[in-house]
Amino acid sequence: MLNNKEYLNKIFQSNKPLIIYKTIGGYDVYTDFKEKITLNSKNFKNFLNKKTSQSTSPIKELNCYIGFFGFQLLCENIKIKIPKQQSLNFYPGLVYKPQTIIKIRKNIVIKSLLKNFRQLQTSKPENKYFYQKKFNLNLDESKYSNLFKHFSKKIQLGETYQIKICQTYSNKSNIDAVSFFWKLMSINESPESFLIRDKDYSIISCSPETLIEKKKDVIITKPIAGTLNRTKKMTKKFANNFFKKNEKESKEHNMIVDMERNDLSRICKTGSVKINKLKTVEQYRDLYHYVTEIKGRLKKRITNHDIISAMMPGGSVIGCPKINTIKLLNGCEKLNRNIYTGSFGYINANGDMRFNIIIRSILNYKKRAEISAASGVVIDSKPKREYKENYIKAKSLLDLFKT
Amino acid sequence: MIYVIDHEDSFTYNLVHLLEGFSPTYVSNYYDINWHQLEKSKIIIFSPGPGNPSHYPETQKVYKKYKGDKKIIGICLGFQQILYGENADIVPQKKIYHGYQSKIKTLKESALFKPNKVFLAGRYHSLKLKEPFNSSSLKITMRCVESNVAMAIEDTINNVYGFQFHPDSFLTVDGKFLIQKVLQL
Repeated sequence: MLNNKEYLNKIFQSNKPLIIYKTIGGYDVYTDFKEKITLNSKNFKNFLNKKTSQSTSPIKELNCYIGFFGFQLLCENIKIKIPKQQSLNFYPGLVYKPQTIIKIRKNIVIKSLLKNFRQLQTSKPENKYFYQKKFNLNLDESKYSNLFKHFSKKIQLGETYQIKICQTYSNKSNIDAVSFFWKLMSINESPESFLIRDKDYSIISCSPETLIEKKKDVIITKPIAGTLNRTKKMTKKFANNFFKKNEKESKEHNMIVDMERNDLSRICKTGSVKINKLKTVEQYRDLYHYVTEIKGRLKKRITNHDIISAMMPGGSVIGCPKINTIKLLNGCEKLNRNIYTGSFGYINANGDMRFNIIIRSILNYKKRAEISAASGVVIDSKPKREYKENYIKAKSLLDLFKT
Repeated sequence: MIYVIDHEDSFTYNLVHLLEGFSPTYVSNYYDINWHQLEKSKIIIFSPGPGNPSHYPETQKVYKKYKGDKKIIGICLGFQQILYGENADIVPQKKIYHGYQSKIKTLKESALFKPNKVFLAGRYHSLKLKEPFNSSSLKITMRCVESNVAMAIEDTINNVYGFQFHPDSFLTVDGKFLIQKVLQL
């Protein structure tokens, strides 16, 4: 019989649907899905408030639904309609109920509700893997600059204070998601990284951003705002000084901190919303990020749906104020964001949850791979710099296609 | 009871979070006002929000209806809405203050705050009050130390108050005190 490691490798090489989620000290692999629910604006609330609490499994870690909510679903959930866009008709949202969890730590531990999980047949992928090196970009620099000028005017008029312009790279590919994911982790492991591989699509992401971490009645969010291109000689101390002294980055960050305090205040007890750690620097392969951690205690009788509606879509990837800024974006974005700036994570039956913001991601669907990136326009932004920042954010993902 | 008219801002609930510490607070969107609840409330607050005061005729209606009857407090856009209701011009300013921390000074015209006190406050505005502005009852009671732009108003006759900056921002030092003073509950 296969040992744990051999078994794990066998399912990685098969086409078995699975999810990998980065956790402290390793990764959790979820598989043997008993149930799969396609979410839409009609069943979303019911799913969050009823369905999630119904599961009872003797294995605590499997007492959950895990999956993603797309950007459009999250907008519709807060009553913002998205106009007709160019679209892949990808799933608005999908959640899975796992029956097996494989914990990759120093050792590999497997817990399953199925007695014979090791004997389950796995099959080889039907389609051949291939990928292109080159990508098409939906907004070139001149189109980007025009949009930038358009939004700068809106800022002067006070209609938005900060707005994130999104660009999408795409090409024809059918990637081996698991091997891409581990390659990505070897160069750019991030705290909210994840993979979903299903029969007809895959998503890999090295997201750095935690949107919701909820345990009992304590909820934490860690918004990121502020990016610095990392060069070889640069130190974390240098980055820290850069952010502190840079007025533009500070203001951009301040805005996001107040916005996230606001979103938590909608659902938290009076006086309980506090800034835990203000303005810390996190280091990644190609860049540094400026991060703040905010915490609150939930009011009584707050539902899962209340929490998701207050916090999603995450403000740091849209701009501020949220509603009007999404409306401004919707008027200009021709391409559906699909998963980008949606959210991935899980809800446990006891109400605990963890969700990220889906950024730094590859969506592979219908033999098309797409990578999106966005950066903020505030009043002092320069279009050239922000255009370049989008490229830096996408770079570690684009590089995967080069080797 | 405090009634907050929300202009769909992403900072409104920071304000609500502060207010709830002093009195039960009811919040509705500006396009969805509960007139019955509003009638019962002692204090009306105009929240911050995007755009300019002329975009919100409903809020102007509330101002005209209740000025002099109920205490009215405006924050940021809300501050501008009160001034707009008093026929002031709200105009773009050269330097835009979004996420900006500024030194603010209290003036001798203030009935609520000690004069010549300087404190730090968070600002989110691209528009400002065009001056000179004259009113028989409404006084400018705080200004930005650097730019001299109007930062607070008080009308003790009609019980109308406003801040251009955000007492609710984490950038404002002791915003809770400012709110407490202006609520005077």
